[in-house]
Amino acid sequence: MKVIVDMAKCQDHGQCAIAAPEVFEMNEEGRLVYDGEPGEERRLEVEEAADVCPVQAILIKD
Amino acid sequence: MTVTAPEAAPYFDITDPDFSITSAAVHEARERSWYARTNYGLAVLRYEEVSRLLKHPKLRQGSAAWPAHNGVTEGPFAKWWASWVLNKEGEEHHRLRRLMNPAFSHKLIAGLVPRFQALAAELINGFREPGRCEFVSEFAEPYAARVIAIMLGMPESEWRVIARESATIGLAMGVTIRQDLPKIEAALAALYAYADELIAERRREERDDFVSALVRAQRDSDRLSADELRDGLVLLIFGGFDTTRNQLGLAMQSFVRHPDQWRLLAERPELGGRAVEEVMRVNPTTRWVTREAHEDFTYQGLDIPAGTTVHLFTESAGTDPRVFGDGAFDITAERKPHFGFGGGAHHCLGHFVARSDMSEALPLLARRMRDPRIEDGAEWLPDSGNTGPIRLPIAFTPAT
Ligand code: HEM
Ligand code: SF4
Repeated sequence: MKVIVDMAKCQDHGQCAIAAPEVFEMNEEGRLVYDGEPGEERRLEVEEAADVCPVQAILIKD
Repeated sequence: MTVTAPEAAPYFDITDPDFSITSAAVHEARERSWYARTNYGLAVLRYEEVSRLLKHPKLRQGSAAWPAHNGVTEGPFAKWWASWVLNKEGEEHHRLRRLMNPAFSHKLIAGLVPRFQALAAELINGFREPGRCEFVSEFAEPYAARVIAIMLGMPESEWRVIARESATIGLAMGVTIRQDLPKIEAALAALYAYADELIAERRREERDDFVSALVRAQRDSDRLSADELRDGLVLLIFGGFDTTRNQLGLAMQSFVRHPDQWRLLAERPELGGRAVEEVMRVNPTTRWVTREAHEDFTYQGLDIPAGTTVHLFTESAGTDPRVFGDGAFDITAERKPHFGFGGGAHHCLGHFVARSDMSEALPLLARRMRDPRIEDGAEWLPDSGNTGPIRLPIAFTPAT
């Protein structure tokens, strides 16, 4: 599965990191870092992260 | 990087009844310094700094200790307050958020849009006089309360209970919380009774609705406990009502000041969503979002000791010329996001609902209420942490 976060849109709210902590993480400065190619077993969580992002910055590609 | 020496920082007494958080004095201070000192810690005035500090890992939400600061440390109210997702941090917070988030997804909320539209039309049709209304009691209040009733699957006719009990619980935000405590706890008990009934109904028979989604909510093998469910439902009633009512009233105020934008919204109802964003940028009901330092840290050369209260001024950030230029009110402009729903881990849980219901209401109001004017007799909450109209008499030219 491919995950793309539109970093121009992302506001570092970290809601994705709450929904899918194995894939999204907030670093020491409170900025988003993420795994762009998580395993298929993470699909449900990643979909939830995309749903919950307040600015809808997360795109899941197949 | 410019570092402002502490003695150069502006100072505000934010408890002075004459202090206005959107005043020229605050805007001038913003031009001199990114922060001000206040009798309650720091005030952050500029967009970039508000954006960063809102989500800063060394800051936590700043409301948890309010009742204790005011001598309320036990009893049902203190217990309920401590249960709020807003007042939890770290994994305890994230767990609740994970369990509650799916019920608030925009996909589920989208199904309610026709109800929001019908409700707005019904309220406008019901105005007591053709060219005049008291906007708060005839629109904003019933709209906000009935949206919650719709979400919770309560009979809409019971909206007055939501409005009344929430208003009483709201007394807890004031400094007279201790004297008001018996009334506040009676109101809380009344809302608990509603919540219990809603939950019991869904346990008997599942429905395809919001409360069922919360009752069903499950993550791995974890679920919301019975107490968490009722505490959460009462928080949603309380947290969603006042805010939406006040924000609608403020929207009306902004559009009365910008009649061309109101006409444009009437012609182009698809701008409803943008209209909500633009109103919340320049006229947010949550005028400050509160944080508290849980560790000493330094930000832009400023030492912020643990325990410092930090108020992030949302209107000041939303009108910061560094980001918005002259920032003229314009519902067609592409803008950077505002902070009217807070941000970070505590970003408003109900924002998809609030955005959706307000973006349906405003274009309909614009179409039906042409050339609105504020008449004598308007009353306002102080221009402080949370604001909005208490009474807002409006005259207008009726249209269909
Ligand atoms: C115009 C309407 C609304 C405004 C202006 C508003 C504003 C806010 C703000 C400023 C916060 C705090 C964010 C922070 O500290 O960063 C918040 C949190 C919250 N709001 Fe709203 N809100 C609105 C509507 C609603 C509605 C309709 C609901 C529920 C039905 C709701 C439920 C909540 C909850 C549960 C939290 C706490 C979230 C957490 O701590 O994780 N709000 N809201
Ligand atoms: S939830 Fe959205 S805005 Fe927040 S960090 Fe994740 S992608 Fe960025």
